[in-house]
Amino acid sequence: MKKPSRRACISTFLRSFLIQGSWNRRTMLGSGFGFSILPTLRRVYRDDPEGFEAAVTRHVEHFNAHPYLANLALGATCRMEMDGEPPEEIRRFKLAVRGPLGSLGDSLVWAGWRPATVLMALALGLSGASPGVTVLFFLLAYNVGHLLLRFGGFAVGLERGTQIGDSLRKMSLPLQADRLAGIGVFFLGAVLGLVLGRGSEFGVRVLPWGALLALGLFLGSRLGQGSWRVIYWTVGGLGGVLFLIGWFG
Amino acid sequence: MTPDSFILVLLGGILALDGTSVGQFMISRPLVAGTLTGWVLGDPVLGLVVGGVIELYFIPVFPVGGAEFPEGGPPTLVGVVAAAGIPGAGGIALGVMVGLLFSRLAALSVHLLRKANSRIVPDPARAQVSSRQVVLAHLGCAGLDFLRGAALAGLGLGLAGWTTSSLQGLWPLSLPITLGLLILGTALPAGAFVRSVGGWRKRGVLFAAGAGGFLIGSILL
Repeated sequence: MKKPSRRACISTFLRSFLIQGSWNRRTMLGSGFGFSILPTLRRVYRDDPEGFEAAVTRHVEHFNAHPYLANLALGATCRMEMDGEPPEEIRRFKLAVRGPLGSLGDSLVWAGWRPATVLMALALGLSGASPGVTVLFFLLAYNVGHLLLRFGGFAVGLERGTQIGDSLRKMSLPLQADRLAGIGVFFLGAVLGLVLGRGSEFGVRVLPWGALLALGLFLGSRLGQGSWRVIYWTVGGLGGVLFLIGWFG
Repeated sequence: MTPDSFILVLLGGILALDGTSVGQFMISRPLVAGTLTGWVLGDPVLGLVVGGVIELYFIPVFPVGGAEFPEGGPPTLVGVVAAAGIPGAGGIALGVMVGLLFSRLAALSVHLLRKANSRIVPDPARAQVSSRQVVLAHLGCAGLDFLRGAALAGLGLGLAGWTTSSLQGLWPLSLPITLGLLILGTALPAGAFVRSVGGWRKRGVLFAAGAGGFLIGSILL
Protein backbone atom coordinates (compact mmCIF):
# COMPACT_ATOMS: atom_id res chain seq x y z
CA MET A 1 0.00 0.00 0.00
CA LYS A 2 1.27 3.48 -0.87
CA LYS A 3 1.02 6.04 1.90
CA PRO A 4 -1.63 8.63 1.01
CA SER A 5 -0.16 12.09 0.58
CA ARG A 6 -2.07 14.71 2.55
CA ARG A 7 -1.54 17.26 -0.22
CA ALA A 8 -2.89 14.92 -2.92
CA CYS A 9 -5.92 14.08 -0.77
CA ILE A 10 -6.72 17.76 -0.06
CA SER A 11 -6.28 18.63 -3.72
CA THR A 12 -8.57 15.75 -4.78
CA PHE A 13 -11.17 16.83 -2.23
CA LEU A 14 -11.07 20.47 -3.37
CA ARG A 15 -11.36 19.44 -7.01
CA SER A 16 -14.48 17.43 -6.13
CA PHE A 17 -16.35 20.75 -5.83
CA LEU A 18 -16.03 20.93 -9.61
CA ILE A 19 -16.98 17.30 -10.23
CA GLN A 20 -20.00 18.33 -12.35
CA GLY A 21 -18.08 20.95 -14.34
CA SER A 22 -18.23 18.96 -17.57
CA TRP A 23 -21.51 17.09 -17.01
CA ASN A 24 -22.52 15.59 -20.33
CA ARG A 25 -24.82 12.98 -21.82
CA ARG A 26 -22.03 10.58 -22.85
CA THR A 27 -19.93 10.10 -19.71
CA MET A 28 -22.08 12.13 -17.27
CA LEU A 29 -19.83 12.71 -14.21
CA GLY A 30 -17.02 10.62 -15.74
CA SER A 31 -14.85 13.46 -16.93
CA GLY A 32 -15.33 15.33 -13.64
CA PHE A 33 -14.41 12.21 -11.70
CA GLY A 34 -11.21 11.91 -13.74
CA PHE A 35 -10.45 15.62 -13.19
CA SER A 36 -10.94 15.27 -9.42
CA ILE A 37 -8.85 12.14 -8.92
CA LEU A 38 -5.87 13.41 -10.96
CA PRO A 39 -3.75 14.59 -7.97
CA THR A 40 -4.06 11.18 -6.29
CA LEU A 41 -3.26 9.36 -9.54
CA ARG A 42 -0.18 11.56 -10.03
CA ARG A 43 1.01 10.50 -6.58
CA VAL A 44 0.22 6.80 -7.01
CA TYR A 45 1.77 6.53 -10.49
CA ARG A 46 4.60 9.04 -10.11
CA ASP A 47 7.18 6.46 -11.26
CA ASP A 48 4.97 4.92 -13.95
CA PRO A 49 3.91 7.39 -16.68
CA GLU A 50 2.24 4.71 -18.80
CA GLY A 51 0.27 3.39 -15.85
CA PHE A 52 -0.73 6.98 -15.07
CA GLU A 53 -2.14 7.59 -18.59
CA ALA A 54 -3.98 4.26 -18.48
CA ALA A 55 -5.48 5.14 -15.08
CA VAL A 56 -6.58 8.59 -16.31
CA THR A 57 -8.29 6.95 -19.29
CA ARG A 58 -10.08 4.47 -17.00
CA HIS A 59 -11.35 7.17 -14.65
CA VAL A 60 -12.93 9.40 -17.30
CA GLU A 61 -15.23 6.56 -18.33
CA HIS A 62 -18.97 6.84 -17.70
CA PHE A 63 -19.85 7.47 -14.06
CA ASN A 64 -22.80 9.06 -12.34
CA ALA A 65 -23.87 9.68 -8.75
CA HIS A 66 -25.25 12.47 -6.61
CA PRO A 67 -22.56 15.21 -6.74
CA TYR A 68 -22.10 15.30 -2.95
CA LEU A 69 -22.18 11.54 -2.34
CA ALA A 70 -19.89 10.99 -5.32
CA ASN A 71 -17.17 11.89 -2.80
CA LEU A 72 -17.71 8.53 -1.09
CA ALA A 73 -16.88 6.78 -4.36
CA LEU A 74 -14.03 9.23 -5.03
CA GLY A 75 -12.46 8.63 -1.60
CA ALA A 76 -12.90 4.86 -1.88
CA THR A 77 -11.42 4.84 -5.39
CA CYS A 78 -8.41 6.82 -4.15
CA ARG A 79 -7.95 4.21 -1.44
CA MET A 80 -8.21 1.36 -3.98
CA GLU A 81 -5.67 3.04 -6.27
CA MET A 82 -3.30 3.54 -3.33
CA ASP A 83 -3.76 -0.10 -2.30
CA GLY A 84 -2.86 -1.19 -5.82
CA GLU A 85 -6.19 -2.92 -6.52
CA PRO A 86 -6.52 -4.32 -10.08
CA PRO A 87 -8.18 -1.92 -12.57
CA GLU A 88 -11.07 -4.33 -13.23
CA GLU A 89 -11.84 -4.45 -9.51
CA ILE A 90 -11.94 -0.62 -9.35
CA ARG A 91 -14.17 -0.48 -12.43
CA ARG A 92 -16.57 -3.02 -10.93
CA PHE A 93 -16.67 -1.07 -7.66
CA LYS A 94 -17.53 2.20 -9.44
CA LEU A 95 -20.23 0.44 -11.44
CA ALA A 96 -21.72 -1.06 -8.29
CA VAL A 97 -21.91 2.14 -6.23
CA ARG A 98 -23.09 4.68 -8.80
CA GLY A 99 -26.80 3.71 -8.67
CA PRO A 100 -27.16 3.63 -4.87
CA LEU A 101 -25.13 6.83 -4.39
CA GLY A 102 -27.34 8.58 -6.95
CA SER A 103 -30.71 7.57 -5.55
CA LEU A 104 -29.63 7.98 -1.92
CA GLY A 105 -28.29 11.48 -2.57
CA ASP A 106 -31.39 12.49 -4.51
CA SER A 107 -33.73 11.52 -1.68
CA LEU A 108 -31.46 12.79 1.09
CA VAL A 109 -30.42 16.15 -0.40
CA TRP A 110 -32.73 17.17 -3.25
CA ALA A 111 -35.97 15.86 -1.71
CA GLY A 112 -34.97 16.19 1.95
CA TRP A 113 -32.31 18.60 3.10
CA ARG A 114 -32.69 21.31 0.47
CA PRO A 115 -36.50 21.75 0.66
CA ALA A 116 -36.38 21.55 4.47
CA THR A 117 -33.76 24.29 4.82
CA VAL A 118 -35.14 26.57 2.09
CA LEU A 119 -38.67 26.31 3.49
CA MET A 120 -37.40 27.05 7.01
CA ALA A 121 -35.70 30.14 5.61
CA LEU A 122 -38.87 31.20 3.79
CA ALA A 123 -40.86 30.76 7.01
CA LEU A 124 -38.27 32.91 8.76
CA GLY A 125 -38.53 35.59 6.07
CA LEU A 126 -42.33 35.57 6.23
CA SER A 127 -42.14 35.92 10.01
CA GLY A 128 -40.44 39.27 9.55
CA ALA A 129 -36.70 38.51 9.27
CA SER A 130 -34.74 40.85 7.00
CA PRO A 131 -33.73 39.63 3.51
CA GLY A 132 -30.10 39.34 4.67
CA VAL A 133 -30.95 37.18 7.69
CA THR A 134 -33.30 35.00 5.61
CA VAL A 135 -30.73 34.31 2.90
CA LEU A 136 -27.84 33.91 5.34
CA PHE A 137 -29.86 31.46 7.43
CA PHE A 138 -30.58 29.33 4.37
CA LEU A 139 -27.02 29.38 3.05
CA LEU A 140 -25.53 28.52 6.46
CA ALA A 141 -28.07 25.81 7.32
CA TYR A 142 -27.91 24.19 3.91
CA ASN A 143 -24.15 24.30 3.56
CA VAL A 144 -23.47 22.81 7.00
CA GLY A 145 -25.15 19.62 5.76
CA HIS A 146 -23.68 19.98 2.28
CA LEU A 147 -20.08 20.30 3.45
CA LEU A 148 -20.50 17.55 6.06
CA LEU A 149 -21.68 15.20 3.32
CA ARG A 150 -18.87 16.14 0.96
CA PHE A 151 -16.09 16.02 3.52
CA GLY A 152 -17.47 13.11 5.57
CA GLY A 153 -18.12 11.10 2.40
CA PHE A 154 -14.60 11.64 1.11
CA ALA A 155 -13.01 10.85 4.49
CA VAL A 156 -15.11 7.69 5.00
CA GLY A 157 -14.38 6.53 1.45
CA LEU A 158 -10.67 7.14 1.86
CA GLU A 159 -10.57 5.24 5.14
CA ARG A 160 -12.91 2.36 4.37
CA GLY A 161 -12.27 1.78 0.67
CA THR A 162 -14.57 -0.92 -0.70
CA GLN A 163 -16.17 -1.31 2.74
CA ILE A 164 -18.14 1.95 2.45
CA GLY A 165 -21.36 -0.09 2.26
CA ASP A 166 -21.08 -0.94 5.99
CA SER A 167 -20.55 2.71 6.89
CA LEU A 168 -23.53 3.75 4.77
CA ARG A 169 -25.74 1.18 6.48
CA LYS A 170 -24.66 2.44 9.93
CA MET A 171 -25.56 6.01 8.97
CA SER A 172 -29.09 4.83 8.00
CA LEU A 173 -29.36 7.58 5.42
CA PRO A 174 -32.75 6.45 3.97
CA LEU A 175 -34.29 6.94 7.43
CA GLN A 176 -32.68 10.40 7.69
CA ALA A 177 -34.00 11.24 4.21
CA ASP A 178 -37.51 10.25 5.27
CA ARG A 179 -37.31 12.41 8.40
CA LEU A 180 -36.00 15.38 6.42
CA ALA A 181 -38.84 15.02 3.90
CA GLY A 182 -41.28 15.14 6.85
CA ILE A 183 -39.64 18.33 8.15
CA GLY A 184 -39.85 19.78 4.63
CA VAL A 185 -43.59 19.04 4.42
CA PHE A 186 -44.18 20.58 7.87
CA PHE A 187 -42.42 23.80 6.83
CA LEU A 188 -44.20 23.80 3.47
CA GLY A 189 -47.45 23.89 5.42
CA ALA A 190 -45.96 26.59 7.66
CA VAL A 191 -44.96 28.74 4.68
CA LEU A 192 -48.38 28.48 3.02
CA GLY A 193 -50.07 29.21 6.38
CA LEU A 194 -47.83 32.24 6.90
CA VAL A 195 -48.38 33.45 3.33
CA LEU A 196 -52.15 33.34 3.85
CA GLY A 197 -51.88 34.93 7.28
CA ARG A 198 -49.55 37.71 6.11
CA GLY A 199 -51.64 38.13 2.95
CA SER A 200 -54.63 38.95 5.11
CA GLU A 201 -52.74 42.12 6.18
CA PHE A 202 -52.88 43.19 2.50
CA GLY A 203 -56.56 42.36 2.12
CA VAL A 204 -56.30 38.70 1.04
CA ARG A 205 -59.32 36.90 2.48
CA VAL A 206 -58.21 33.78 4.31
CA LEU A 207 -61.26 31.54 3.88
CA PRO A 208 -61.96 31.75 0.12
CA TRP A 209 -58.29 31.85 -0.82
CA GLY A 210 -57.56 29.05 1.67
CA ALA A 211 -60.24 26.89 0.04
CA LEU A 212 -58.81 27.59 -3.42
CA LEU A 213 -55.35 26.80 -2.06
CA ALA A 214 -56.59 23.44 -0.77
CA LEU A 215 -58.04 22.72 -4.21
CA GLY A 216 -54.71 23.64 -5.83
CA LEU A 217 -52.85 21.37 -3.40
CA PHE A 218 -55.16 18.50 -4.29
CA LEU A 219 -54.73 19.14 -8.03
CA GLY A 220 -50.95 19.47 -7.65
CA SER A 221 -50.70 16.16 -5.85
CA ARG A 222 -52.78 14.52 -8.59
CA LEU A 223 -50.65 16.00 -11.37
CA GLY A 224 -47.29 15.34 -9.67
CA GLN A 225 -44.29 16.51 -11.68
CA GLY A 226 -46.66 17.27 -14.59
CA SER A 227 -47.92 20.25 -12.58
CA TRP A 228 -44.85 22.18 -13.71
CA ARG A 229 -46.13 22.20 -17.29
CA VAL A 230 -49.51 23.44 -16.07
CA ILE A 231 -47.87 26.19 -14.01
CA TYR A 232 -45.71 27.25 -16.90
CA TRP A 233 -48.61 27.69 -19.32
CA THR A 234 -51.04 29.05 -16.73
CA VAL A 235 -48.70 31.70 -15.34
CA GLY A 236 -47.41 32.68 -18.77
CA GLY A 237 -50.85 32.61 -20.41
CA LEU A 238 -52.81 34.19 -17.57
CA GLY A 239 -50.21 36.89 -17.04
CA GLY A 240 -50.18 37.70 -20.75
CA VAL A 241 -53.99 37.82 -20.93
CA LEU A 242 -54.17 40.12 -17.90
CA PHE A 243 -51.66 42.53 -19.40
CA LEU A 244 -53.70 42.46 -22.62
CA ILE A 245 -56.84 43.29 -20.64
CA GLY A 246 -54.93 46.20 -19.14
CA TRP A 247 -53.87 47.31 -22.63
CA PHE A 248 -57.46 47.34 -23.95
CA GLY A 249 -59.07 48.43 -20.71
CA MET B 1 -23.36 49.04 -20.20
CA THR B 2 -23.99 50.53 -16.76
CA PRO B 3 -21.99 49.30 -13.72
CA ASP B 4 -25.15 47.62 -12.37
CA SER B 5 -25.72 45.79 -15.67
CA PHE B 6 -22.11 44.63 -15.68
CA ILE B 7 -22.45 43.29 -12.11
CA LEU B 8 -25.72 41.56 -13.02
CA VAL B 9 -24.19 39.90 -16.09
CA LEU B 10 -21.28 38.66 -13.94
CA LEU B 11 -23.75 37.50 -11.30
CA GLY B 12 -25.66 35.60 -14.01
CA GLY B 13 -22.48 33.71 -14.88
CA ILE B 14 -21.76 32.90 -11.23
CA LEU B 15 -25.35 31.74 -10.65
CA ALA B 16 -25.15 29.44 -13.68
CA LEU B 17 -21.87 27.96 -12.42
CA ASP B 18 -23.30 27.35 -8.95
CA GLY B 19 -26.36 25.61 -10.42
CA THR B 20 -24.42 22.55 -11.57
CA SER B 21 -20.78 23.03 -12.49
CA VAL B 22 -19.06 24.48 -9.44
CA GLY B 23 -19.81 23.92 -5.78
CA GLN B 24 -23.60 23.87 -5.71
CA PHE B 25 -23.63 26.03 -2.59
CA MET B 26 -27.19 27.02 -3.57
CA ILE B 27 -26.43 30.65 -4.32
CA SER B 28 -28.35 29.84 -7.49
CA ARG B 29 -31.61 29.05 -5.67
CA PRO B 30 -34.30 31.60 -6.58
CA LEU B 31 -34.54 32.78 -2.96
CA VAL B 32 -30.83 33.71 -2.87
CA ALA B 33 -30.48 34.79 -6.51
CA GLY B 34 -33.54 37.05 -6.17
CA THR B 35 -32.30 38.71 -2.99
CA LEU B 36 -28.78 39.21 -4.39
CA THR B 37 -30.24 40.82 -7.53
CA GLY B 38 -32.48 42.97 -5.34
CA TRP B 39 -29.40 44.17 -3.46
CA VAL B 40 -27.64 45.13 -6.67
CA LEU B 41 -30.76 47.08 -7.71
CA GLY B 42 -31.15 48.64 -4.26
CA ASP B 43 -34.35 46.80 -3.29
CA PRO B 44 -33.56 43.50 -1.52
CA VAL B 45 -37.13 43.13 -0.21
CA LEU B 46 -38.51 43.08 -3.76
CA GLY B 47 -35.81 40.53 -4.65
CA LEU B 48 -36.79 38.38 -1.67
CA VAL B 49 -40.50 38.53 -2.57
CA VAL B 50 -40.04 37.63 -6.25
CA GLY B 51 -37.30 35.09 -5.48
CA GLY B 52 -39.37 33.59 -2.65
CA VAL B 53 -42.43 33.10 -4.86
CA ILE B 54 -40.33 31.56 -7.66
CA GLU B 55 -38.63 29.37 -5.02
CA LEU B 56 -42.03 27.97 -4.03
CA TYR B 57 -42.75 27.17 -7.69
CA PHE B 58 -39.41 25.31 -7.84
CA ILE B 59 -39.93 23.23 -4.68
CA PRO B 60 -40.85 19.96 -6.46
CA VAL B 61 -38.12 20.29 -9.09
CA PHE B 62 -35.33 17.82 -8.33
CA PRO B 63 -32.27 17.43 -10.59
CA VAL B 64 -32.60 13.64 -10.39
CA GLY B 65 -30.16 11.59 -12.47
CA GLY B 66 -29.69 13.18 -15.86
CA ALA B 67 -33.12 14.83 -15.90
CA GLU B 68 -33.47 18.22 -17.52
CA PHE B 69 -35.23 20.75 -15.35
CA PRO B 70 -36.07 24.47 -15.38
CA GLU B 71 -33.10 26.52 -14.18
CA GLY B 72 -33.55 28.89 -11.23
CA GLY B 73 -30.55 31.24 -10.96
CA PRO B 74 -30.21 33.51 -14.02
CA PRO B 75 -34.00 33.47 -14.72
CA THR B 76 -34.75 34.73 -11.20
CA LEU B 77 -32.21 37.50 -11.75
CA VAL B 78 -34.07 38.51 -14.91
CA GLY B 79 -37.42 38.26 -13.10
CA VAL B 80 -36.29 40.62 -10.34
CA VAL B 81 -34.94 43.12 -12.89
CA ALA B 82 -38.33 43.02 -14.66
CA ALA B 83 -40.16 43.41 -11.35
CA ALA B 84 -38.08 46.46 -10.43
CA GLY B 85 -39.19 48.21 -13.62
CA ILE B 86 -42.89 48.38 -12.69
CA PRO B 87 -44.01 49.57 -9.25
CA GLY B 88 -46.52 47.63 -7.12
CA ALA B 89 -48.51 44.49 -7.87
CA GLY B 90 -47.85 44.58 -11.63
CA GLY B 91 -44.10 44.44 -11.03
CA ILE B 92 -44.31 41.41 -8.74
CA ALA B 93 -46.63 39.60 -11.18
CA LEU B 94 -44.41 40.43 -14.15
CA GLY B 95 -41.26 39.41 -12.25
CA VAL B 96 -42.64 35.98 -11.38
CA MET B 97 -44.03 35.50 -14.89
CA VAL B 98 -40.78 36.51 -16.62
CA GLY B 99 -38.73 34.39 -14.17
CA LEU B 100 -40.79 31.27 -14.79
CA LEU B 101 -40.93 31.68 -18.57
CA PHE B 102 -37.22 32.46 -18.75
CA SER B 103 -36.44 29.31 -16.73
CA ARG B 104 -37.59 27.24 -19.72
CA LEU B 105 -35.28 29.11 -22.07
CA ALA B 106 -32.48 28.57 -19.56
CA ALA B 107 -33.29 24.84 -19.47
CA LEU B 108 -32.90 24.75 -23.26
CA SER B 109 -29.50 26.42 -22.95
CA VAL B 110 -28.47 23.80 -20.35
CA HIS B 111 -29.52 21.09 -22.80
CA LEU B 112 -27.36 22.65 -25.53
CA LEU B 113 -24.43 23.05 -23.12
CA ARG B 114 -24.58 19.37 -22.20
CA LYS B 115 -24.59 18.44 -25.88
CA ALA B 116 -21.55 20.66 -26.43
CA ASN B 117 -19.84 19.13 -23.37
CA SER B 118 -20.32 15.66 -24.88
CA ARG B 119 -18.21 16.80 -27.83
CA ILE B 120 -15.61 18.57 -25.73
CA VAL B 121 -14.78 15.89 -23.13
CA PRO B 122 -12.29 13.23 -24.22
CA ASP B 123 -13.76 9.88 -25.25
CA PRO B 124 -11.93 7.06 -23.41
CA ALA B 125 -13.41 4.49 -25.80
CA ARG B 126 -11.54 5.98 -28.78
CA ALA B 127 -8.03 6.62 -27.53
CA GLN B 128 -5.81 6.96 -24.48
CA VAL B 129 -6.63 10.18 -22.63
CA SER B 130 -3.95 12.49 -21.24
CA SER B 131 -4.30 14.40 -17.96
CA ARG B 132 -3.83 17.67 -19.87
CA GLN B 133 -6.81 16.83 -22.12
CA VAL B 134 -8.96 16.09 -19.07
CA VAL B 135 -8.08 19.35 -17.30
CA LEU B 136 -8.48 21.55 -20.38
CA ALA B 137 -11.79 19.95 -21.39
CA HIS B 138 -13.17 20.09 -17.87
CA LEU B 139 -12.28 23.71 -17.19
CA GLY B 140 -13.38 24.63 -20.73
CA CYS B 141 -16.83 23.15 -20.10
CA ALA B 142 -17.13 25.04 -16.78
CA GLY B 143 -16.06 28.23 -18.56
CA LEU B 144 -18.76 27.69 -21.18
CA ASP B 145 -21.32 27.35 -18.40
CA PHE B 146 -20.23 30.71 -16.97
CA LEU B 147 -20.54 32.33 -20.41
CA ARG B 148 -23.97 30.74 -20.86
CA GLY B 149 -25.19 32.25 -17.57
CA ALA B 150 -23.71 35.64 -18.38
CA ALA B 151 -25.27 35.58 -21.87
CA LEU B 152 -28.65 34.60 -20.41
CA ALA B 153 -28.45 37.45 -17.90
CA GLY B 154 -27.44 39.92 -20.64
CA LEU B 155 -30.28 38.78 -22.91
CA GLY B 156 -32.67 38.86 -19.96
CA LEU B 157 -31.69 42.42 -19.02
CA GLY B 158 -32.55 43.58 -22.52
CA LEU B 159 -35.80 41.62 -22.49
CA ALA B 160 -36.73 42.92 -19.04
CA GLY B 161 -36.06 46.51 -20.12
CA TRP B 162 -38.26 46.10 -23.19
CA THR B 163 -41.09 44.36 -21.29
CA THR B 164 -41.24 46.86 -18.47
CA SER B 165 -41.33 49.83 -20.82
CA SER B 166 -44.09 48.18 -22.91
CA LEU B 167 -46.21 46.98 -20.01
CA GLN B 168 -45.87 49.97 -17.67
CA GLY B 169 -49.21 50.67 -15.95
CA LEU B 170 -51.13 47.91 -17.73
CA TRP B 171 -51.58 45.44 -14.85
CA PRO B 172 -55.33 45.51 -14.12
CA LEU B 173 -55.46 43.67 -10.77
CA SER B 174 -55.17 45.02 -7.24
CA LEU B 175 -52.40 43.95 -4.84
CA PRO B 176 -54.65 41.56 -2.78
CA ILE B 177 -55.93 39.78 -5.92
CA THR B 178 -52.43 39.58 -7.39
CA LEU B 179 -51.01 38.18 -4.15
CA GLY B 180 -53.96 35.77 -3.88
CA LEU B 181 -53.33 34.47 -7.42
CA LEU B 182 -49.62 34.05 -6.75
CA ILE B 183 -50.37 32.17 -3.52
CA LEU B 184 -52.85 30.03 -5.39
CA GLY B 185 -50.26 29.28 -8.06
CA THR B 186 -47.85 27.93 -5.44
CA ALA B 187 -50.43 25.32 -4.37
CA LEU B 188 -49.83 23.18 -7.47
CA PRO B 189 -46.08 22.67 -6.94
CA ALA B 190 -46.67 22.32 -3.18
CA GLY B 191 -49.11 19.47 -3.87
CA ALA B 192 -46.64 17.91 -6.32
CA PHE B 193 -43.90 18.11 -3.67
CA VAL B 194 -46.05 16.37 -1.04
CA ARG B 195 -46.82 13.63 -3.53
CA SER B 196 -43.15 13.11 -4.40
CA VAL B 197 -42.16 12.67 -0.73
CA GLY B 198 -44.83 10.21 0.32
CA GLY B 199 -48.29 11.68 -0.37
CA TRP B 200 -51.05 13.07 1.80
CA ARG B 201 -51.75 9.85 3.71
CA LYS B 202 -48.22 9.77 5.03
CA ARG B 203 -47.52 13.50 5.33
CA GLY B 204 -50.97 15.12 5.60
CA VAL B 205 -50.93 15.52 9.39
CA LEU B 206 -47.50 17.19 9.36
CA PHE B 207 -48.58 19.55 6.59
CA ALA B 208 -51.83 20.42 8.38
CA ALA B 209 -49.95 21.01 11.65
CA GLY B 210 -47.53 23.39 9.94
CA ALA B 211 -50.20 25.22 7.94
CA GLY B 212 -52.74 25.51 10.78
CA GLY B 213 -50.21 26.41 13.45
CA PHE B 214 -48.46 29.11 11.49
CA LEU B 215 -51.67 30.54 9.99
CA ILE B 216 -53.26 30.97 13.41
CA GLY B 217 -49.96 32.22 14.83
CA SER B 218 -49.52 34.83 12.10
CA ILE B 219 -53.09 36.10 12.50
CA LEU B 220 -52.93 36.24 16.31
CA LEU B 221 -49.49 37.79 16.50
